[in-house]
Amino acid sequence: MPSSQVPSIAGTALDPTAVRPDIADAEIVRVAPSELRGKLESLRAEGFTQLLDIGGVDYLDRDPRFDVVYHLLALPLKPATVAEVAVPRRIRVLCGVEGEAPSVPSASDLWPCADWAEREIFDLYGITFAGHPDLRRIQMPYDWEGYPLRKDYPLRGPAREATPRPAFALKSNVPAGTPPSGKVAAALQKRIALARGQAIGDGTGEKS
Amino acid sequence: MSSTIPAAIGGGLDVVDVKGNSMTLSMGPQHPSTHGVLQVVIEVSGEIVEKAEMEIGYLHTGIEKSAENLFWTQAGTVIERMDYLNPLGNALCYVLAVEKLLGITDDIPVRAQQIRVLLSELSRIASHCVWLGTGGIDLGAISTFFYTFDIREDILDLIEVSGGARMHPNYFRIGGLNGDIPSGFLAKLDALIVKFPGRMRELRALLQNNPILRDRMIDVGIISAEDAVKWGLTGPSLRGSGIAYDVRKAFPYSGYEKYAFDVPVRDDGDAYARFLVRLDEMDEAMRIISQVRKELDTPGPIMVANPKIAQPPKETIALSMEALIHHFKIVSESFRVPPGDVYQAIESPRGELAYYVVSNGNNRPYRVRTRPPSMYNLQAMKLLAPGNLIADIVVMIGSLDPVFGEVDR
Repeated sequence: MPSSQVPSIAGTALDPTAVRPDIADAEIVRVAPSELRGKLESLRAEGFTQLLDIGGVDYLDRDPRFDVVYHLLALPLKPATVAEVAVPRRIRVLCGVEGEAPSVPSASDLWPCADWAEREIFDLYGITFAGHPDLRRIQMPYDWEGYPLRKDYPLRGPAREATPRPAFALKSNVPAGTPPSGKVAAALQKRIALARGQAIGDGTGEKS
Repeated sequence: MSSTIPAAIGGGLDVVDVKGNSMTLSMGPQHPSTHGVLQVVIEVSGEIVEKAEMEIGYLHTGIEKSAENLFWTQAGTVIERMDYLNPLGNALCYVLAVEKLLGITDDIPVRAQQIRVLLSELSRIASHCVWLGTGGIDLGAISTFFYTFDIREDILDLIEVSGGARMHPNYFRIGGLNGDIPSGFLAKLDALIVKFPGRMRELRALLQNNPILRDRMIDVGIISAEDAVKWGLTGPSLRGSGIAYDVRKAFPYSGYEKYAFDVPVRDDGDAYARFLVRLDEMDEAMRIISQVRKELDTPGPIMVANPKIAQPPKETIALSMEALIHHFKIVSESFRVPPGDVYQAIESPRGELAYYVVSNGNNRPYRVRTRPPSMYNLQAMKLLAPGNLIADIVVMIGSLDPVFGEVDR
């Protein structure tokens, strides 16, 4: 499928603000970019000591276009047994970000491991993190243009997307009556001929 | 001075440079001790590392982008290729996430879950074998590699017998398994269960109190419990710092709550602690395997009964029109998954591996975000490296056990 046809959420049942109560994988909070920093700070103070992951999602036709998704875990900061860790609280913070010059505040001073995660989102989605100490590409080469995980970025890259893929030998583009060619076809013809007990040709039409 | 050394350009970074007493060097990306393709740009003063900046992305293959363009049933094949030392773990995590979105988590047959647990734990041992073997080579213990790869070979044989391929079998399917374990599998497994404890005793005798290894690892790369949590460490790297967080205990999946096993923990936080935790984990994994083995004599279904999700058995296709239609639909356009998002975590050999999967109700995943444990573990090198010897950097990287297929994806 050409990636210009990547399924969009327009007209589907996906409501970006919907919460799936039937999947109890984490507590879920949705905040606006202006509230994000305050919310993360208060969660950090509340005991969410570990930042599990920051991810991005591009909802192409939605407003706001992007989601930045934080997963936090409440772990003790000192040695603890399995019973003491028990079932730590896990929370998902979703933050919708505008498609034009998307930017959210950085969390790398709250959790140092946010550094690479934020760089990756910047690299692949082009979302900037205000206050990040070293925001540059991490997976793609430094001189890369475009943000590959955006839904409007072609799967094979902008340069190769223009090149058509080789056409398959469909019935429609092979004229009727064209004899099979090539070594494989010749070998196959030999086997068919052998099976029929006929004279064996080498596939070129001449008797051998 | 600096004019005699060519300044190689690495994307805006001068990778060879001299400033006063300090020199900037590039370790890797083509270096065996970096366990793949990691480039560490280190600023050294004599033998002491003052600053280490890691460059990753040399193995970036855009797996997450590829997955968005494949059917739900096909995406598992590329996702398996992220963590190439634990492909079944990746597959398991993805499959569990999709099953949650489909709402069929409780319908997965017990036997399928048992085999999933069995192969996941075998993969854990196989993965730790590679870590131990290559970690041994880092420290000059070449023979360890042959001891561990002997066990790994037996496990890969088992994976090949069950799934048809040694590394990426795509054996775990949404809804169950590709097929039941064949005859002969259990005999091979029994042989491994008998052989394994002796092999572990040998490895421990060889390594655990080896003075060279102890000298190289004790008090090297110390991470406090607080730092380990803040830097996002999970798995053995976190448990080496004393925090017994294990996804299998905290958020059990696939029936892990049924099996008795301990979570090995050490409080020291150094490379030796992480080494011991992984060795103990290999024993614990075998403990789970022995328990699962006892349950496998009872036959049972290995796939959900829902024909919209499970491919019909091959032999029914020629006989039943219904089966033929279902087979055609699943192969040619997969199935649709209800819209929603889910965060599914499993305990991979490296830590909390998770997929944040978003569906828009279509037959392709809208987004598959990986929580790569290796990437977060490796990032802690920024904390560990400064003030240590160059030779210790090698030990630290080895003790964090990164897999670059997963770091870069």
